[in-house]
Amino acid sequence: MDYDAQLKLQSYLDGELPESEAREIANLLAQDREAVALFAELRNTRQALVGSEVGVALPESREFFWSKIEREIYRLEKSEPAPRPSSVFAAWRRFLMPAGGVAALAIAAFIGLFGGSQGPTHEMAVADPGAFTYHDFSAGTTLVWLTYPAENEFADNFE
Amino acid sequence: MRFLCSLIVSALAAFAALSAPAAPLKIEVQLIWGTTNEVSPNAEHKSIGPELKKKLQELPLKWTNYFEVKRIDVDVPSAGVATVPLSQKCRLEITDRGHSTIQVVLFGKGEKVINRTQALPKGETLILGGNAPGATSWFAVLRRLD
Amino acid sequence: MTEKDYSSAEDQKLVRVAQKGDMAAFEELVARHRDKIYARALSMMRNEQEAIDLSQEAWVKGWQRLKQFQGEASFGTWMTRIVINLCLDQLRKQKRQRTESIEAMTEESGGVERHMPVLTVNPTAGLERQELRQRIDRALSQLSYEHRTVLVLHEFEEMEYKQIAKAMECSIGTVMSRLFYARRKLAALLADLKKSD
Repeated sequence: MDYDAQLKLQSYLDGELPESEAREIANLLAQDREAVALFAELRNTRQALVGSEVGVALPESREFFWSKIEREIYRLEKSEPAPRPSSVFAAWRRFLMPAGGVAALAIAAFIGLFGGSQGPTHEMAVADPGAFTYHDFSAGTTLVWLTYPAENEFADNFE
Repeated sequence: MRFLCSLIVSALAAFAALSAPAAPLKIEVQLIWGTTNEVSPNAEHKSIGPELKKKLQELPLKWTNYFEVKRIDVDVPSAGVATVPLSQKCRLEITDRGHSTIQVVLFGKGEKVINRTQALPKGETLILGGNAPGATSWFAVLRRLD
Repeated sequence: MTEKDYSSAEDQKLVRVAQKGDMAAFEELVARHRDKIYARALSMMRNEQEAIDLSQEAWVKGWQRLKQFQGEASFGTWMTRIVINLCLDQLRKQKRQRTESIEAMTEESGGVERHMPVLTVNPTAGLERQELRQRIDRALSQLSYEHRTVLVLHEFEEMEYKQIAKAMECSIGTVMSRLFYARRKLAALLADLKKSD
């Protein structure tokens, strides 16, 4: 079976052949064992892929994932200066906690804006270039995450 | 006469109080290593206390284990600067800006990495952090000791 | 609409409300479809962090373009097209920066898939869904980005050849040969994984 016929077999499987060529391939499949075997292999592979994405879950909590989207939407709507070349999300991504390990994070960066009677319990901001600030008001903790320095600054302490 | 002496002594005491320099801010700086490893390969690293462990675990960070690399207690003079060496290449300069506010400047390889002025009242914690080799992390944890 | 209403509302209603600026309605849509969008990005990029970044950017773009969504496809399908386009842009940028391996160049020039022995035994028969997914993951990671992309667009996105050609900026003939190679290579990889068990 030549390569052209192999490709037509694939197109037949995918429903992409015009009717006249589809009839030719159907005839081929009625007579040629090699064509039948190849057709079965292509079909098996296609079937194996069906549903293989089911069950893949985004490894971040709902609140945390949304808080970054929301922040970026507001930033763009206010037309703030563009972030550094490494994207807003890329700077966070390296230290994100898997969703399964999150305790009640209750990221409510903008709770106050939506009329909550209490003030925000957490807040994230991009105040300094190259740094992200995360406030946990209830715990009295401020985390300033730096995209700099480079990774080897403290290497002599950690080896 | 006795009253006059008391008045003079009180005035002298008040004058002395006004003239004396304000007490320095006592700050504890801990250099912490964050990892997913259960045990640190560096035998000199120590476990961190439960309170700090809880604070770090409540942050949206992926590391699960934290080890103290070093701890330095520093007196930051009123309206003055204290220098805290974190490693051979990095240091913190902490300035007391008054009213429980400090200015923290991190220097890495001689360059200023960040300059942050932040309120640090008693009971609160300021944590600077970044990536470290092998998908681990470092943190400089600042707390008031007074 | 109350928060309780959001969680029970259909996508169409949430979209209409979100199009008027209701961000809580959009957040509910994000929560419902985020896994699917992420999974599609992950299939294409094969890198968890890139997939997270790109799916987040897709959601921001989705919000910005929401008023243009007229319901011509389902909301989920509309969003997956956004994330796919972002992934394609990113892959093109990476391709310009990447040094092509010899294997990749061989894949591109084609030929080997024409002579691969046909597998007569289905290597995925009898596998549990999770195990099959893991094997497919591993096998997909071993394809070049062009072959993986054409497979994802055809098999997961159910795009026609001409739609794929437009998205990948190549000819229909190239789509057909890449798809053929990708399927045959995937079958061979799955068979190898089965043998190595």
